[in-house]
Amino acid sequence: MTNSWTDLQNSRCFLIAGSNCAENHPIAMRWINRARDKGAKIIVVDPRFTRTASQADIFAQIRPGTDIAYLGAIIRHILVNKLYDKDYVLNYTNALYKVSKDYKFDAGLFSGFDAKGKKYSIDSWGYQLGPDNKPLKADSLEDPDTVFAKLQEHFSRYTFDKAEKITGIPAAKIKEIADTFCQAKPATILYALGMTQHTTAVQGIRSYAIIQLLLGNVGKAGGGINALRGEPNVQGSTDMANLFNSLPGYLPAPIGTDKTLRDYLVRNGSIQEKPLVALLKAWFGQSATKENDYCFNYLPKYNLSINASMVRIFDLMNKGQFKLLINIGSNSLVSIPNRQMVRSGLAKLDMLVVSDLFEIETAQFWREPGVNPAEIKTEVILLPAAFVYEKDGSLTNSGRWIQWKDAALKPLGESKPDLEVLDSLFRRVRQLYQGSTDPKDEPVLKARWDYGQEPSALKVLQEISGYDETTGKLLPTLADYLKAPAGSVSTGCWIYTGVTGNGNLAAKRKNGDPSGLGLFKDWSFAWPANIRILYNRASCDANGQPVDPERKLVWWDPAARVWSGNDGPDVVDKTKGPETPEGKLSFRMNPEGVGRLFAAKYTSGMPAAPPVDNLPAIGLRPAGLCVDGPLPEFYEPVESPTGNLLHSEVSSNPLVVIPATVPGIQKVGKPGDFPYVLTTYGVVEQFCAGGVTRNIPVLNELMPGPFAEISKNLAQKIGAQDGDTVEVASARGKLRVRCLVTDRLQTYKVNGKDTETIGIPWGWGFASLSPGPGANELTIGVLDPGAGTPEYKACLVNIRRV
Amino acid sequence: MKVSRRNFLKLSGVSLTALATGLGLDPEIAQAKGYALKTEGSQKLPSICHFCSGGCGLLLYIKGDRLIHLAGDPDHPANEGTLCPKAASLRHVAYAQERVTKPRRRAPGSDKWEEISWEDALDKVARKIKEVRDSSWKGSEQLPDSKTGQPVSYAVNRAEGIAMLGSAEVDNEESYLLKKFSQILGTPYNEHQARI
Amino acid sequence: MTRKMVLADTSKCTGCKACTVACKEWNQLPAEKTQLVKSYQSMRTFTPDTWSFVTFDENYSISQMHWLMRKAQCFHCADPACLKACTSKAISKTESGYVVIDKDLCIGCGYCAENCPFGVPKVDDQQKKAFKCTGCIDRVENNLKPMCVQTCQTGALEFGERDNLMVKAKKRLAEVKGKYPKAVLYGEKEMGGMTHSYILLDSPEAYGLPSHPVAPLALTLWKDIIRPVGTVAMGGAAAAVVFGILGNALRGNYGPPESGKGGKE
Repeated sequence: MTNSWTDLQNSRCFLIAGSNCAENHPIAMRWINRARDKGAKIIVVDPRFTRTASQADIFAQIRPGTDIAYLGAIIRHILVNKLYDKDYVLNYTNALYKVSKDYKFDAGLFSGFDAKGKKYSIDSWGYQLGPDNKPLKADSLEDPDTVFAKLQEHFSRYTFDKAEKITGIPAAKIKEIADTFCQAKPATILYALGMTQHTTAVQGIRSYAIIQLLLGNVGKAGGGINALRGEPNVQGSTDMANLFNSLPGYLPAPIGTDKTLRDYLVRNGSIQEKPLVALLKAWFGQSATKENDYCFNYLPKYNLSINASMVRIFDLMNKGQFKLLINIGSNSLVSIPNRQMVRSGLAKLDMLVVSDLFEIETAQFWREPGVNPAEIKTEVILLPAAFVYEKDGSLTNSGRWIQWKDAALKPLGESKPDLEVLDSLFRRVRQLYQGSTDPKDEPVLKARWDYGQEPSALKVLQEISGYDETTGKLLPTLADYLKAPAGSVSTGCWIYTGVTGNGNLAAKRKNGDPSGLGLFKDWSFAWPANIRILYNRASCDANGQPVDPERKLVWWDPAARVWSGNDGPDVVDKTKGPETPEGKLSFRMNPEGVGRLFAAKYTSGMPAAPPVDNLPAIGLRPAGLCVDGPLPEFYEPVESPTGNLLHSEVSSNPLVVIPATVPGIQKVGKPGDFPYVLTTYGVVEQFCAGGVTRNIPVLNELMPGPFAEISKNLAQKIGAQDGDTVEVASARGKLRVRCLVTDRLQTYKVNGKDTETIGIPWGWGFASLSPGPGANELTIGVLDPGAGTPEYKACLVNIRRV
Repeated sequence: MKVSRRNFLKLSGVSLTALATGLGLDPEIAQAKGYALKTEGSQKLPSICHFCSGGCGLLLYIKGDRLIHLAGDPDHPANEGTLCPKAASLRHVAYAQERVTKPRRRAPGSDKWEEISWEDALDKVARKIKEVRDSSWKGSEQLPDSKTGQPVSYAVNRAEGIAMLGSAEVDNEESYLLKKFSQILGTPYNEHQARI
Repeated sequence: MTRKMVLADTSKCTGCKACTVACKEWNQLPAEKTQLVKSYQSMRTFTPDTWSFVTFDENYSISQMHWLMRKAQCFHCADPACLKACTSKAISKTESGYVVIDKDLCIGCGYCAENCPFGVPKVDDQQKKAFKCTGCIDRVENNLKPMCVQTCQTGALEFGERDNLMVKAKKRLAEVKGKYPKAVLYGEKEMGGMTHSYILLDSPEAYGLPSHPVAPLALTLWKDIIRPVGTVAMGGAAAAVVFGILGNALRGNYGPPESGKGGKE
C-alpha cells in the first residue's frame, strides 16, 4: 500500500477493482465505512457481485481478465475531457518528457519486438536525451513528442463502446464510473490478486498508476494505490526478498555476467552500491572488505534466461533439477495453478522438508487419494512449527507497519519457531563443512551468523536494521545510514534501517493520532523512516505547501528552512527547499524524480563522456521497467472465449510465459470445448490454501466446502438447481462440486455474444478436517512475463450436472 | 428481574463446571463468587493476527499457561478491539488436536509416518543439504558475452539441486534468515507466495 | 442498570460471520456439522449450540442486486412470548432489557421454543434445558459490550443506551432510505420493543421475518385471560397440559419461525 488501512478514512471515493476486501481484508471495511459516513462513494468492479459489491454505490460485472480495456477507456476519458490535475501532471510526472522518435506501437506490438526470443529490445522506449544525457522536456503538453502525446495516441483506441464490447460492462456504466471517480478528490484504488493473477498483471497496475498520477491522487491522504497484500507477512517476506531475482530491500540479485561488484553497478546503478555492500557486510562481516569486493563473489548468480519464479520452480522440479525442497509455511499442492505439476514434481525429489502447523496436503502428497505411496521414492520430513503467538518476532502489515510481538504462549508440544530450525540447520551445515578448503564452501564458513545459543529474533531484527561497522553500535536511523560511506555500515534490509536503532521501535504501542488523519506515527514503525504515506511530497504544491487544507501531511517550513509535517516527509533531503532541484522531487525512487506515466528506459546520472579507463559507464539509478511495454495494452487471457477486438493478430500477451518443460503438462483449451470463463477466489471464512482454517471447526461450520457459482441462465441451460452436484472441467483437469445458483452472476455480452462466468473458491484439498476439491485442478499455469504471477483468475471450462 | 451478580454464570449458559476448570478454580468457589467473568484474573498479552496483512492486534487472555480467551486488542489503532471471523477463531490453533507436535519422517515408498526426534530430523536435513549442494554445484556457466554474444565462462556459484519455498507465513526475522541461508548455500531458487 | 440496545445497521454488514464465531467463542459453544443452506448461509436455524448466525437472502430486480445479510439471534423482546410461556419461571427480564433463562429452573418443557414468534430458544434433549442468546449478560453487567458487538469490524453492530441508540437509528434510517427506499427500523415497537433492533434494507418479509410479530393467540389467551382464573383452580402440572393443548390447537396464528425459509439441503 502507498497508504495504510487507517488512512482509508480520508478518501472520498474508492475504486475497488481486483479486490474483494470485505471478504479477504475485512479490516478494510472498518475504515472504508468511516469514509462512507462522511459521504465517500464506493465503486466495485468484479466478475461477481461479491460481499464487497454489496456495499457499493456502483457495481459493474466485468469479464475476468479484461480490466485494461475499461481502465484504458477511463484514461482516455480523463485525457479527452481534460479531467487531469494539470499542476500535478506538469510538476510531478514525466508528461512533458520527449519520447524517442523510434518509439512505436502498432497492431498489438510495441517497437523492438523479437518474435523468436519472445521479448522486446527496449532501446526505442527511451527519452530523447540532451548532450548531458538528461531527458529533453517539451514546453507544453501539446508537443507531439511528449509522453503526454503518446498517452493520448495510445489510449485513443479505448472508447467506451470498445470497452463495453470487450469487458461486458455497459458503456454508460463505464462512463459513470469514470465521472464518479474523477470528480472525487482524494480518491483511492484498492486492488489485490484480482488484478495481479493475470498474464497482464503488471500492466493492469500500471493503468492504475497512470489514472492516479493524472488525477493527482498519489502521495495524498485518502489517495494512493493500495495493494491489499494477502498474507500475514507477505509484505515483509517481499521486503526480505524470498524471490529468486532480488535481494532484501528490493535490490536486484546478481546475474551470471556480473563478475564483479562493478559489473553489477553498471547494470543496476551506483545507487545500489551502498545497500548491496551493507548487505554483504551483514552477511559476511569482517570478511567483506573493499579489497575482496565485499565478498560479492560469494553470492549465487542466477541465469537471466531462466525465469525461476514460483510456478517455474515446479516446472524445473518436473525436469528433475531439484533433489531437495525445503518448504516452509506454504501449501503448494493446493495453491499452485494446474496442480498436477506439483504432484508430479514433488515425486521427483530425493527429499521434501515441510515445516508447518498442520499436516498439510503438500506434506502428504504421497498419499493423496489415487496415488500409490509405494511408487513415490521421496523421503519426507515434517517439522512441527510454532504458531505466531508462540514466538517472538515481527510481521509487516500491508501499510508497511513493522509490528513486533513477544511470545505469549509456549510452542505446542515439541513444535519450534522456524527461526530456531533455520539457525540450527545452518549451524549443522557449517559444522559439516568444517575444515573444508574448497573455495565453494567459503561463504558457509565465513558467514556472519550469531544469534545466540538460543537464537534471538530481536538480534536478527537488529541485523536487518543495521550496525555501524566501525563502532559495532546499532545504526540509529535511516539518515545515519544514508550519511555513512559505503562499507562502514551493515544492514540486512536497508529499507528497515532504524527499526531497532533507538530501542525496538516495532514494539511501540502509543496509539495517539494528533493529526486525526490516522497516521499513528508512534504505533510500531513503518518503513522507510517511519513514513506512513509514500510520496507525500506530492501532497504539496510547487512551493511546498499542502494543496488539501483538510489533509495536511507535510510542508516546507520556510522560517526553519526544513521539511516538516504530520507525517515523515518523503523527500531527498529535509533541508532542501522547494526552490532547489532536490526539493522539487516527489518520486525520489525514480531516476527522473517524478511519476512515470510512460515507463521509459532511462538511467539517471550517466556521464556525458565514457570513463577514460574504457570501462562501461556507471549511471546513478536505472528506471524500473515493464518487460511487456512502456504503456499498458489490453491482451486477452491465454484461454479466452473471444479474440482480441483491438488487434486480432496479437490476442494474448506476446511475452506470456508458459511453463511446460514436461510436454502436455500445460494444455490450453479452446472455447469450442470449454465455452465458459472460470474465475477463482477466496472466502472470508477460510484462508488461502486452508492449511490452518480447514482445521478450525468453527470456521468449517461457517463455510463447509467449496462450490461453483453460476448464473440462473447457465443453471437452466445445464439443468442444474441450487445444491446439485456439477462437474467442472478444463483442458487440464476436472472436479465435482456443489452448485450455487445465483443472481450475483449474470449472463453478459462479449462483442455481442452471450457469455457466462463460473466462480469457484479455490482453497480446498484432500487433507484437514474439511477436505474438498480444489479449483487449482482446473486453473492454468501461464505467467505474467514481468511478475511471474499465474493467470488464476481466468481460464476456460465446461460444466455439466451429474 | 434485577440480576444479582451471583446469577450471571448460570444465566450465561456456560457450564459452571467447565468454566471453573478453565479458570483453575474449585467449582464451589466459582459458584460462590458467581459474578466472575471467565476472563477475570487472566493475564492479557498482545499479539498480531496471522491471516491477511491487516496486521490486526490480538489480545490473548492467559490463565496459568493456558489461553482461555482471544479477542481483538482494543489499543490497536487499526482494529480497535474488533476481529474478522478467522482471527476470532484463533484460540483454536493453540490446542488443536490436528497440530503436528513431533517431527515425522516418511521413508521412501512408505505409506505411513514415523515419529523421529528433532536431533535426527535436523541431522538428516543438514546432511542432505550438504550432499545435494556438493553434488549439484555449478561453479561456472557458459553465458553469451554482452558485447560479442560469444559464450564465455562466468562464475555462478549455484547449488542447482536445492530449492527453498517460503514464506509469507513466517516472521520477518525468519523470512530474512531463510533468504540469507539460501544465498549462503548458493541457491537463488528461493521463492514464496508473493509471486502467486 | 438502564435499558440497553444493540443496533444492527445491516447497510454496513458484509456477512463476514465474525459475530457468529465471537458468540461461540465467548459462550464456549461447539461447532456443528453444516452445509450451505442458501447463498452463503451455512446455518439453517438456531440450535442449543448455535445462538447466533447470519442469514443471506438475494434479491435481484431491475438489474439491481440486493444481497441482504442479517445477524440473527434472540431479539430480547420487551414483551417476550417465551417468558409468558415458561412453565417453570426460568425465564426473566433484566433491567437492561435482556431476556434470560435460568438453567437451574428450566425443565426443558419447550414451551418457550414453541411460542417464540422467531423460533429462537432451542431445547437440548440430553440436558433437558432450553438455550438461546444471553445477550452476553455477564459482559453487559460488567460494563463490557456483548462479544458480537465487540468483534464486529465493519461497525454494523453498535451497543449503547436504548434511548440514545434509537434516536441514532432513526437518523441513520433516513440516510439509508436514500439508497434503499424500502428500508425499515425493526424492533422499536415490535414485541413491545426489542433490545436487538435493526435497520433492514428491505421489508422484514424479505429477510424471512414477520412484519408484525405477535405472541401466539393461544399464549395470550392462556396467560392473560384463562390463567388468572385457572391457576386458582388447577395445579401447575395440569395447567401445563391445558396450555399445551391450547397451543397445539391454535398453532399457525403466529408468524413463521425465521429459519424456515427457502434453501435446499
